[in-house]
Amino acid sequence: MFEKFFEWYEKRHDYARDWMAKTGGDVVGCFCSYAPEEIIYAAGLLPVRMLGSHEPQDVTEPHIFGMFCPFCRDVLAQGLKGRYDYMKGIMIAQSCLHIRQSFTSWKKHVPIDYAYYLYMPNKVQTEHARPYLKSEFEKFRKSLEEWRGKEITDQALRESAELHNENRRLLHAVYELRKGPNPAITGLEAMVMVASSFFVDKKDHNAELNRILPQLKDRQLGRETGARLMIVGSEDDDTDFVRMVESVGATIVVDEHCTGTRYFWNLTQYQNGDILQDLANRYIDRPPCPTKDWEERQRFPHILQLAKDYKADGVILIQQKFCDPHECDIPPLKEYLNANGFPTLFLEFDVTVPLGPMRIRVEAFLEMVGEEELF
Amino acid sequence: MAENKEFWRWTEYSWRDENKDWRGAAIITAGIDVGSVSSQAVIMADGELYAFNNTRTGSNSPDSANKAIEGALAGTGLTLENINFIVGTGYGRVNVPFAHKAVTEIACHARGANFMGGSEIRTILDMGGQDCKAIHCDEKGKVTNFKMNDKCAAGTGRGMEVMADLLEVPITEVGDLSFQVEEEPPPVSSTCVVFAKSEAMALLRDGWKKEKVLAAYCSAMAHRVSSLLDSVGVQEKFFITGGIAKNRGVVERLEKELGVKAVKTKIDSQIAGALGAALFAKTLFEKQQAKSVA
Repeated sequence: MFEKFFEWYEKRHDYARDWMAKTGGDVVGCFCSYAPEEIIYAAGLLPVRMLGSHEPQDVTEPHIFGMFCPFCRDVLAQGLKGRYDYMKGIMIAQSCLHIRQSFTSWKKHVPIDYAYYLYMPNKVQTEHARPYLKSEFEKFRKSLEEWRGKEITDQALRESAELHNENRRLLHAVYELRKGPNPAITGLEAMVMVASSFFVDKKDHNAELNRILPQLKDRQLGRETGARLMIVGSEDDDTDFVRMVESVGATIVVDEHCTGTRYFWNLTQYQNGDILQDLANRYIDRPPCPTKDWEERQRFPHILQLAKDYKADGVILIQQKFCDPHECDIPPLKEYLNANGFPTLFLEFDVTVPLGPMRIRVEAFLEMVGEEELF
Repeated sequence: MAENKEFWRWTEYSWRDENKDWRGAAIITAGIDVGSVSSQAVIMADGELYAFNNTRTGSNSPDSANKAIEGALAGTGLTLENINFIVGTGYGRVNVPFAHKAVTEIACHARGANFMGGSEIRTILDMGGQDCKAIHCDEKGKVTNFKMNDKCAAGTGRGMEVMADLLEVPITEVGDLSFQVEEEPPPVSSTCVVFAKSEAMALLRDGWKKEKVLAAYCSAMAHRVSSLLDSVGVQEKFFITGGIAKNRGVVERLEKELGVKAVKTKIDSQIAGALGAALFAKTLFEKQQAKSVA
């Protein structure tokens, strides 16, 4: 039932090229889930978030430190290897230094026509962030208009905002079906479903979600649900890891990743008659990345609520090696979840993960959180 | 001659409780722990230790499992068919051909330590052949938290074997010899087996006695595992399983560093995993029986 999402996920470049041929439009690569896709889409462009390929590589060493996170190195490798050679533009909304290094290296070493750095504020917990981000969105809009030689109308922004909201509503509807005792989808399917929405025109993605939703309501997976796990961390599209976890007696029922719920969780609220302000508010109010989650840590109660709503038995905390913002959060987050009755397992990820050693840790964790069959 | 030079080689052996007769037991279970360096088979009669074998793991996990169980069965009159339930554990746990179920060595070591050291054990350090685990458990021996070493095999049994070979000291004498120093030397700076070996060679060249080098290595190993323990915290009572538990050079230095004494037992610390597996086998068999009756 999820074949289309898997196809999009695995053949993301084919999809982008076909989209260009079909629409005559161009593709803009985005480096972070804070990129305001609605504005890019309203300019007649396809925003595509760039993820890694989970293959060992040897092309980024001259450009990026070895102690920068594996994800940002993997992303840059895709550009240096020419995998996105069809892509005309790139943009980043500031989140962390590591991915910004990927952006600046890409700008310098990969042939493109357009690169934009958007000053997404890190201190989102101040009211000044709202007008500030709106003015940054205004600048970005003007910059895109100049590049494309075409106005981005408020009407186009509204339509784009609504298309993206619709995608978020549909993803929520699918996630809702993971709350029950027999989740309608696996964690692997959920991961690929959300990740593919980064690559695909939201019109296509929405159509596919609308097609499967009625069938999902009565879907029986025909497998034991086992322990219900939540997975929390930074960027994560490690499908091999999720497949392994779900093969040893567990189902991932919810996530808190920027390639998962953090990306789509909140909708744009139309409040001001000012669509750019509404969009800015949406990015200010979204579940924050740890780079933006201060002074108050607002992400923790959000994670706890998800764990409760989806009835998680335990939480896997994953960290991209050397991701400092997440690493700083993990000790207090672990303590917080444990104190609230959710056991945790911490695992460190690289471009590829050693599945054998990960498996023993996961199995031991499942024995720890699972039923008392051994006692 | 070559055999004599293998100073790392510990004795493979079998043990049997001569005072027990398995024929009177209602439930016979076994646990097989195929580790990265050693393999053990434990046979229990009605939840009591009856026989075991401790052997070196070969290149093939099923063969090692067979060798261990054959060693434990030898002389008992028991055959595999007499055993009601068998649990496999360890690195090769899914490759134990005759096991009914596989359970991780983390759960098994906690359960084994609970049996060996009593229900008051709360923290277990398993110092195995190629990895280390710090484990917390409850009064039943159920794991409540754990941490495994991530990056390399430093501070594990294999490293000690390499050092014994380099210094030409039989592995069983390392602990005692490491205390035959006038004052405690600083630990070797690296516990990476390869680097530590190079460092030890340099120290020997500088005229260090081998006792002093051993002290420096045992101390480095104790320091390394104490940082692993720190990451979960040490709650008393504390128990050490695995081969290194038999090395007082590491154990006593670790106790000093932690400020906590480990509970000691006469049972071979290397069989803790297999023992835990055999205990789980008993519970699993009883539950299976109860289910089939119902």
